[in-house]
This record gives sequence, structure tokens and C-alpha cells, in this order.
Amino acid sequence: MGQALALAGTLLTLLAAVGVVRFTDALSRMHALTKASTVGLVLVLLGGALTVDHPNDKTSLLLAGALQLLTMPVAANLMSRATYQARGIPSTVDTIDELTGHLDASRDDGG
Amino acid sequence: MIAAGYALLALAAMGFGYRLLAGPSLTDRVVGLDGLLIVGVSAVVLRAMQTGEGAFLPAAVVVTLVGFVGTAVVARFIEGRGR
Repeated sequence: MGQALALAGTLLTLLAAVGVVRFTDALSRMHALTKASTVGLVLVLLGGALTVDHPNDKTSLLLAGALQLLTMPVAANLMSRATYQARGIPSTVDTIDELTGHLDASRDDGG
Repeated sequence: MIAAGYALLALAAMGFGYRLLAGPSLTDRVVGLDGLLIVGVSAVVLRAMQTGEGAFLPAAVVVTLVGFVGTAVVARFIEGRGR
């Protein structure tokens, strides 16, 4: 059971790597990494927590998983926002772009 | 089963390593580095599952936190700057 979960997690990490290699612009590559590999790593950590025997090891694994779930979306948000605002990094938003309106509004406020 | 996991992680590491070297932007390099950190943590966990020896598991927690701090710092660095 634990080993099957870990294998599924490594498979998701590999899929994230395929997306990171093949997608065409910076934001979509970030999207591939953030979604797939967060779930992949958490699956690996859960599989490990089911497999190891010692309670200390289980705690380390679960703590690492919880921290990953907490920090990965925040880091991705910071990175994608910085990429969007940076000059010289090509980034396109295909569908609904809500950030530009917010940025213009805060600029008009003098902020 | 664990061996298959190592093989998949090795392939993933090659993909992330390519993105880290090829760029082209700083964001892409950060993405590659983040992916490599994830591969490293996964490898530590697989090793612990294989041997039943958990001495390296606290390193997995530390690498997770350091990866977040590094990404946040680079994000501040990119903001308002060119590539």
C-alpha cells in the first residue's frame, strides 16, 4: 500500500517534469511543476509514513508533507506574480486576466 | 517497486535539470531547481522506505523549508526587474 502510493507519487513527479520540459512559456511551466509535483511529493511522503515503523520517522514525514502543502502554493503565488510583473519574461494569460486591473487600480491610488 | 520509483525520479531529474540549464528566464531556472529539490526529498523518502533507516528524514523537512525560503527570495529579486 505504502509502496504503491510512493510509486504513484514518483509517477506524478515525472509527469511534472515532462510538463516543465515541454510547455512553452514560463507561467505554464510553473503551473505544471506546482500542481503535479506537490501532489506527487505528498503521495510519496504519505507512502513513506505508511511504510516506516518508528513514530519519529512517521512524524518527520507527515511534518514535511504538511509544510509542503502550506508553502508550495504561497511560493508559486509569489513567483508567478513576480514573473507577471517582470519585464522581459514572456508570459501570456489566455482566458481571464484579473491581475492587470488590480495592478492598474493600485497604481491609480498612488500605491 | 521502489526501484521503479528511483527510475521514474531519475527521469524526472533529467527533465528538471534540462530546464535548470536551458532557462531561458530566471523563473524557469527556479522551476527547475524546485523540481530537483522535490526529486531529492522523494529520493530520501524512498531510501528510508527501502532500508527502514530513518536517520535522513529530518533532512527532508529542512529541504522543504529551505526550498520555500529560496523561492520567495528569488521572487522578490525578480519583481520589477528584467530577466
